[in-house]
Amino acid sequence: MRARRQAWWLGLPATLVFVVFSLVPLLSVARYATWRWSGTAEPISIGSANLARLVRDEALWQSLGTTLLFGLIVLPAFLALSLAVALAIEGLRVERFVKALLFAPGLVTVGGSAIAWYLLYDPDFGVMVELTGLRLPWTSQPGAALLFVVLFTLWQQTGYGVLVMSAALRGIPREVKEAARIDGAHEGELRRFVIVPLLRPTLAFLTIVGSVLALQSYTAVYLLTRGGPFGSTRVLGYYLYEVAFERFELGYGAAITLFVLVFTLIVAVAQARVLVGRGVRGAH
Amino acid sequence: MLLMRLVTVAMCLFVALPLAWLVYAAFIPAEALVRANLATFGFSLENFAALANSGLWRALAISFTASGLAVLAQLTFGLGAAYAIRNGARLLGLVLVLLALPSELLLVPLYRQLQTLLLIDTLWALVVPFLASPLVVFLLLQALRRLPWELVEAARLDGASEPLILARVVAPIVRPELLAAAVLAFAAHWNLVLYPRVMTTEALWTVQVFLTDLLRTRPFEWGLLGAAALVASTPIMILYLVFEKRIVATFEAGFRS
Repeated sequence: MRARRQAWWLGLPATLVFVVFSLVPLLSVARYATWRWSGTAEPISIGSANLARLVRDEALWQSLGTTLLFGLIVLPAFLALSLAVALAIEGLRVERFVKALLFAPGLVTVGGSAIAWYLLYDPDFGVMVELTGLRLPWTSQPGAALLFVVLFTLWQQTGYGVLVMSAALRGIPREVKEAARIDGAHEGELRRFVIVPLLRPTLAFLTIVGSVLALQSYTAVYLLTRGGPFGSTRVLGYYLYEVAFERFELGYGAAITLFVLVFTLIVAVAQARVLVGRGVRGAH
Repeated sequence: MLLMRLVTVAMCLFVALPLAWLVYAAFIPAEALVRANLATFGFSLENFAALANSGLWRALAISFTASGLAVLAQLTFGLGAAYAIRNGARLLGLVLVLLALPSELLLVPLYRQLQTLLLIDTLWALVVPFLASPLVVFLLLQALRRLPWELVEAARLDGASEPLILARVVAPIVRPELLAAAVLAFAAHWNLVLYPRVMTTEALWTVQVFLTDLLRTRPFEWGLLGAAALVASTPIMILYLVFEKRIVATFEAGFRS
C-alpha cells in the first residue's frame, strides 16, 4: 500500500500541467466571458453583456449551422469510406500499400498539405487551371468552398479510419466467418449480416473520433478559406479564433468558447445515448 | 464488392494526386514556371537553394526545439501519470475528458493564463502548456495494462523505490510504446498552426506559421512553396518510416482495449 501511494506521486507533474494549463483555464472562461478585453490592455468587467450578445449574434448561429452541416457531411462520408476501403482491401496483396498511401497525408505537415492542395486546385494559381482550364469555384461559391474543406478533411483523415477499421476486421475470428459460410451465406450476406454488425463498436469509436475532428476543423478552414467566401466556411472554432484574435475581442471570444463548450457537451451526451442504445440492442 | 474496389481506387488517386504534384513542383526549375509550359518542366534543386534566406531554417530550428522539449516531457510525465493510474490513482477521468476536448476551447483562456505567467510571446509559450499530453498518458496506460505486474511486485519486494522501478523495470519493457507515442506526440506538436500564431510573434514563428505566411505572400511560386512544404514534412516522414510498424501496432492495441 505504501508503494502504491509512493507511485501516485509520479503522476503529480502531469496532473499539475493538466490542472494549470487545461482545467483552470477552462473554468476561468466563465469569468473572462464577463470582460471587455482586447488582449493587451487590462480587461474591463461588463457583466453579462457578452452572453446577451451571443443570443443576438447572427454570425454565431450561422457558424453553428455551418459546423453542423460540415459534421453531417464529413462524418458519414468518413465512416463509409473507412469501412468500404477496409473491406475492399482485406487480405489483398495491395493491403499494406493502400493503407500506407492513404495514411500518407498525415505525414505531410498540415501547412504543407494546404500548400499541396493550393498548388493543385487554386483557381488563380493552381496547376489544374493551368493545364486543363478547369477553374474550381471554391474561392467564390459558398457551397463549393464548404465542400472543398470537407474533401480536404477526408483527404487528411480517411487513412486513420481505414487503419482502425482494418485492425477491427482482423480481430474478427475466422471461425465466425466460416460458420456463416457453412450455413450458406454468400459473401454479400456475410458482410451485411455478420461482419458489419460485429464492427459496430469500431464504428461507434470512429464516430466519436470523427466528431472531435469535425469540431476541430477550424485549422483546415484557416489554412484553406479563412472562413470565406461570405462566411460560408466559418465553422464555430474558426469564428472563435476570428473574434478573439483577428478582431481582438477576447472577452466575447471567451463567451463563444463557453457556447462551443456547451455545444460540445450536448453532442457528446447525444452521441453517448445513441451509441449506448445501439450497443445494447446489438448485444441482444 | 466491385463498388467498394472502385471507391478504393478513386480514393487512392484522390489522395495521391496532391502529394505527387507537391513533390513534382518542388523540383521544377523556376523558369519553367514563368512560361507555364509543361514541356519545359525539368528537374532542378534551385527551389531548395532559394529557401536559404527565406527564414525556413530559423522556423525549423524553433519548431525542433519546442516540439523536442515538449515530447521529452510528455513521455517522462506521461509514463509517471500512467504508472500512477495503474496503481490506483484516480486520474483517468480527467485524462479522458481532456482527450475529447476540442483544442480551440483553450485558445482564449490559455492566452490569458500565459499572459499572467509572463510566458506569452516566449519560446516557453510553445512548450510549457504541452509538458503533458492526455493522448500520451492514454497510450502508455494501455501499454502498462499489458505489462506482467509480477515484475513490479518482485522489484518492490527487493526494496526498489517507485521511481527506480519506473525507470529501470517498467520503461525498458514499454519502450516500443514509448517510441510510438513519441512519434505521434511529435507530429501533433509539430502540426500546431493557430496556437503558435496566436501565442507568439514573428521572431518565434514555427514551421507551420512560416508555411502559411509563405503561401500568402508568394502564392505564384509553385517551386518554392513545394520545396518548403517538403522540407517541413521530412522530420515526420522520417520518424514514421523508421517506426511504422510500432505506430500501427500501438494504434491497434490502444484501440482493442
